[in-house]
Amino acid sequence: MNVIEKIPPTEKLVAEFQKVKGSLIGFSALREKAISEFERLGIPNRKNEEWKYSDASALFKNELQVGKLGSMNVQKKDIEKFLIPNLNASVVVLVNGIYSEEQSALKNIPKGVVVSSFAKAITEKSEIVSTHFSKYANITGDAFVALNTAFATDGVFISIPDNTIVETPVHIINIISTQEPSLLQPRFLFIIGNNSELKIVESFDAINSNTKNVCNSVAEISIGKKSKVQYYKLQNDCSGVHLISSVNVHQQKDSHFDTNTVTLNGDWVRNNLNIVPDAEHCETHLNGLFITRGNQHVDNHTLVDHRKPNCESNQLYKGILDGKSVGVFNGKIFVRRDAQKTNAYQSSKNILLSDDATINTKPQLEIYADDVKCSHGSTTGQLNEEAMFYLRSRGLGEESAKNLLLFAYAGDVIEKIQIESLKIYLEELVNQRLKK
Amino acid sequence: MAEKNDILEKQISTEYKFGWTSDIEMDSAPKGLSEEIVRFISKKKNEPEWMLDFRLKAYRHWLQLEEPHYWAHLNYPKINYQDIIYYAAPKQKKELASLDEVDPELLKTFEKLGISLEEQKRLSGVQSTIAVDAVIDSVSVKTTFKEVLAEKGIIFCSFSEAVQEHPELVKKYMGSVVPYTDNYFSALNSAVFTDGSFCYIPKGVRCPMELSTYFRINTAGTGQFERTLIVADEGAYVSYLEGCTAPQRDENQLHAAVVEIVTHKNAEVKYSTVQNWYPGDKNGKGGIYNFVTKRGICLEENSKISWTQVETGSAITWKYPSVILKGDNSVGEFYSVAVTNNHQQADTGTKMIHLGKNTRSTIVSKGISAGFSNNSYRGLVRVAKGAKNARNFSQCDSLLMGDKCGAHTFPYIEIKDKTAVVEHEATTSKIGEDQIFYCNQRGIDNEKAIGLIVNGYCKEVLNQLPMEFAVEAQKLLAVSLEGSVG
Repeated sequence: MNVIEKIPPTEKLVAEFQKVKGSLIGFSALREKAISEFERLGIPNRKNEEWKYSDASALFKNELQVGKLGSMNVQKKDIEKFLIPNLNASVVVLVNGIYSEEQSALKNIPKGVVVSSFAKAITEKSEIVSTHFSKYANITGDAFVALNTAFATDGVFISIPDNTIVETPVHIINIISTQEPSLLQPRFLFIIGNNSELKIVESFDAINSNTKNVCNSVAEISIGKKSKVQYYKLQNDCSGVHLISSVNVHQQKDSHFDTNTVTLNGDWVRNNLNIVPDAEHCETHLNGLFITRGNQHVDNHTLVDHRKPNCESNQLYKGILDGKSVGVFNGKIFVRRDAQKTNAYQSSKNILLSDDATINTKPQLEIYADDVKCSHGSTTGQLNEEAMFYLRSRGLGEESAKNLLLFAYAGDVIEKIQIESLKIYLEELVNQRLKK
Repeated sequence: MAEKNDILEKQISTEYKFGWTSDIEMDSAPKGLSEEIVRFISKKKNEPEWMLDFRLKAYRHWLQLEEPHYWAHLNYPKINYQDIIYYAAPKQKKELASLDEVDPELLKTFEKLGISLEEQKRLSGVQSTIAVDAVIDSVSVKTTFKEVLAEKGIIFCSFSEAVQEHPELVKKYMGSVVPYTDNYFSALNSAVFTDGSFCYIPKGVRCPMELSTYFRINTAGTGQFERTLIVADEGAYVSYLEGCTAPQRDENQLHAAVVEIVTHKNAEVKYSTVQNWYPGDKNGKGGIYNFVTKRGICLEENSKISWTQVETGSAITWKYPSVILKGDNSVGEFYSVAVTNNHQQADTGTKMIHLGKNTRSTIVSKGISAGFSNNSYRGLVRVAKGAKNARNFSQCDSLLMGDKCGAHTFPYIEIKDKTAVVEHEATTSKIGEDQIFYCNQRGIDNEKAIGLIVNGYCKEVLNQLPMEFAVEAQKLLAVSLEGSVG
């Protein structure tokens, strides 16, 4: 038998970079640095402590197309079904990681606010982009951030000046639609000035896509003093897709960052959240819900790096696992020497519905300051039998009693969403999902 | 605040009190590790062929391994394994007819350790004393109460003796819980271990006294590699104690031990450790590198293994006493107090592997860090597929004293069965000023107040220790942390 020797995926990607680097705009030194860091690290496998429960190298076993990602023929009506009812948001559409001017529709954008493609921003706003680009998402030690940084060409750029409240949420729709299995690498850069507000909803949506796409997205968010950012990530219409997402947040004094990650679909999902409250009196709320079935693999990875005193962070992650699915929660609270009076909480709760589902949790505390209140808890169990009995004694069937309880359990996370229409939409999605 | 920290710094810098050496004549091998040394040790101990085979296999496997540096929250230079003496034994190796023949220096050593063998001998008529196996530089020098125990059919002797006299038991159980392939340090230990304790409790016997091993590293430049094997047959019970000390030295010494416990149907083993190896001086110079693999297996139904540890010593502690809950309805417990001070580093915890049905495990870990130390809890709870109705509860609390130390919690929870109920919680806190104030108000000075609060904080664990040890452990805690102000 004639076996063609396969080139290892890491080397292939590095070679691909060498081929296309001439056409990449800006940051050539940084890109070189990023690619060599990627080469050094390689695609992480289980031997890497941070990827112990999620073997990313499996995603790259198949040949992936890189680079020739033209805008596919995506129609307006294709996008309409991904809109969230009553959200009335500014819609930004990315097709395979490329900003689509014609599909995007911005609304009520206050003066001074820029919402544009990342590609455009690199040339037109080069000053502000180069001040912030790759400052919060560290390429060192993170292979996927390094890979994205090396190739970063397009995505979304948002900049908000001081004292500006963007009332209308911005809904970023990541359309994934390719002929061949591809590697998509959108890049996001959001710069929020002082005393401003922004609400973002990001969804991942696949259109008759084949199942082997890998979407490696990196977001960098810089939040100014007294500013508030809400960031909602919805992974629903993305069956068959492999998602690796890294959100990196830098918070200044008195700022708030709230995020909610809801994962219902997606074959293999890894969400990294790296938050740095880098000044006093910051508040950070990380919430997540994942409901999995079949062979899904969902991994939520959080890191809150408390560097300054008097900050607060809260984490609540809940999972409901069915089928042969695997769930992972790995959260780390890091409290540095100077971060006295930190209040940090972390809670991971999981329910297994089938005999073949697996949950791996690793809630970690790494603490170097003594005057802090830090705690974490993790539970894994089943539905409360007494609660089931109570509902059944009131005449509910087993199935509906179970769904009701699961819905209430998931509701804890959904409730934290501060946009009413989004909350209603998600409640409906979760409800439907649990009934299936 | 600054002033308070000064007081704290002054008071947590208590000197190590077991820092003496004994001038016992030693018989040692040259420095370094090679196949010859492994053969040399085996020959010295007059071991049968199968034992040498086991050692060589382990040694060859060890050569292929790399020192694990990547996951533990520890920071230490690479160990030079060629700079260690792998065999050092007190010269008098012949069987001793009576205590009079024992090297008087050796007796003094024991007196200093607080275990006067002579006194033990005299008290032998009295019930419920402790039988001691003393191990100096990895060679068992004296086992007390052997005869009394033999009447009950209990075998309690040094490991080398067990190899000679009970080869069938050693062959059957050695390496069955911790195979030499398990990890880097267990492979090293399997190749070069020199001695240790062996204990077998026959069917239906409840051991009438606490069994105990005292370990002491004495010679400079030696590593201590001992191996303990405890087997509790059907319905048996034993409570086992382990204590360790080492002299004060500038260089780091390596201690890589293996402890294996096997419990059969309805059997119970309770294993308690007070670890007080030399932790290094105030600047972090010297001290013992303590890399220990401890594991028990509840082989058959209704058996129980309970680990209790009070860890105050060692420059580096790398230790995860574990229980494999294989038999149905078996129970695993882990109670730990780990104190780190000055520049000590500890990465310790447990593994509870649920395999059988209706298995239960409890983990209570209390970490206290002071000075510049780092104290990590790292524990695994794994429920395998088909391990129906497994139940685990884990609690890990950390107490920080001062703002230059670190306290960390790294739990790993892996569940593959839907009927499992697993809970984990962890908190980090400091001693409250209000608590101290309350004590001061009642006329208790800072120093005593801290002792009081820390002892209260650790009570859940200390209560698990046998009487004699609990007193010692309490004192040790007080010495380690005198008067720290939070």
